[in-house]
Amino acid sequence: MADQPDGIVLKRHRDLQGRDWHPWLRRGLVALLALVALLALFGFVGQHPSTTKAEAAAATLDVNAPSSVRGGLLYQSRFTIEAHQDVKDATLVLSSDWIDGLTVNTIEPSPLNEASRNGALVLELGHIAAGDKYVLYMDYQVNPTTVGSRTLRVELLDGDEPVTSLTRSQRIWP
Amino acid sequence: MDIVIRAAIAFAFIFFLTRVAGRRELSSMEPFDLIMLIVLGDLVQQGVTQSDYSVTGLVLAAGTIALMQILVSYLNFRFKRARMVLDGEPIVLVEDGRVLLRNVHRERITRGELEEQARLNQIESLEKVRWAVLETSGQISFIPKQ
Repeated sequence: MADQPDGIVLKRHRDLQGRDWHPWLRRGLVALLALVALLALFGFVGQHPSTTKAEAAAATLDVNAPSSVRGGLLYQSRFTIEAHQDVKDATLVLSSDWIDGLTVNTIEPSPLNEASRNGALVLELGHIAAGDKYVLYMDYQVNPTTVGSRTLRVELLDGDEPVTSLTRSQRIWP
Repeated sequence: MDIVIRAAIAFAFIFFLTRVAGRRELSSMEPFDLIMLIVLGDLVQQGVTQSDYSVTGLVLAAGTIALMQILVSYLNFRFKRARMVLDGEPIVLVEDGRVLLRNVHRERITRGELEEQARLNQIESLEKVRWAVLETSGQISFIPKQ
């Protein structure tokens, strides 16, 4: 008769019978944690910026912004317009997902006019001469309750005439 | 509503971390561990309450964590299988003065640590130990030879 302490089953607690796989489970879970940290290093959960470009005869529009962000974080989107021809009345039309659920801290330089068109934000930038470059910065903070994926569309117009447009996706992690 | 979800996720994640880290790491409280504990608490708080400074937020977050704790405690009490998963199981480290190398290696415990713990229990040598058991709390219990 074994004289082990009460509650101790020698096969289970000394010989570890049926528990051989436990360390492997733990190693697997540690590997999972390491994988998450590695993905974060490569910007999977925010917020390394990426650039999307749309070219047209009149102008090139390029948007630099993170495609993944997290609740509460500050980040910036940069819109660069390079005019190849005169754009007399440059206007950016941003779909509602560019601002919905986000706090826009500032837009620099301030547009000449702002408006809403079918739920989209319209920013009138004015004249951009051929060969000139116009850079618009939008600084944000993600509202903590905003999560999920969204599609961000931006159009560059000259007055009411479409020049070019592009679409990006953004994932907001909780 | 989201603060309740965040508090529940924070609880589940911290619980998961404690199970993955291993019990020995969590039962010893060196100065570094104490600092890490405070840092971890701060990180968790930010993730749970974020920019919510309200008393309602505090009640929701603290209440959710308390409820989760009660739920885990009930599962532990009610179901043996759940207890094995949630709490783990004891492991025998020393039998009749003989260190069970396979078991101590598995828990990343050195002979020096075992000897230190024995000394803290007024046992001068592992030779005098009948049983040493790593309990689910992370403490090592010693039963001396008669």
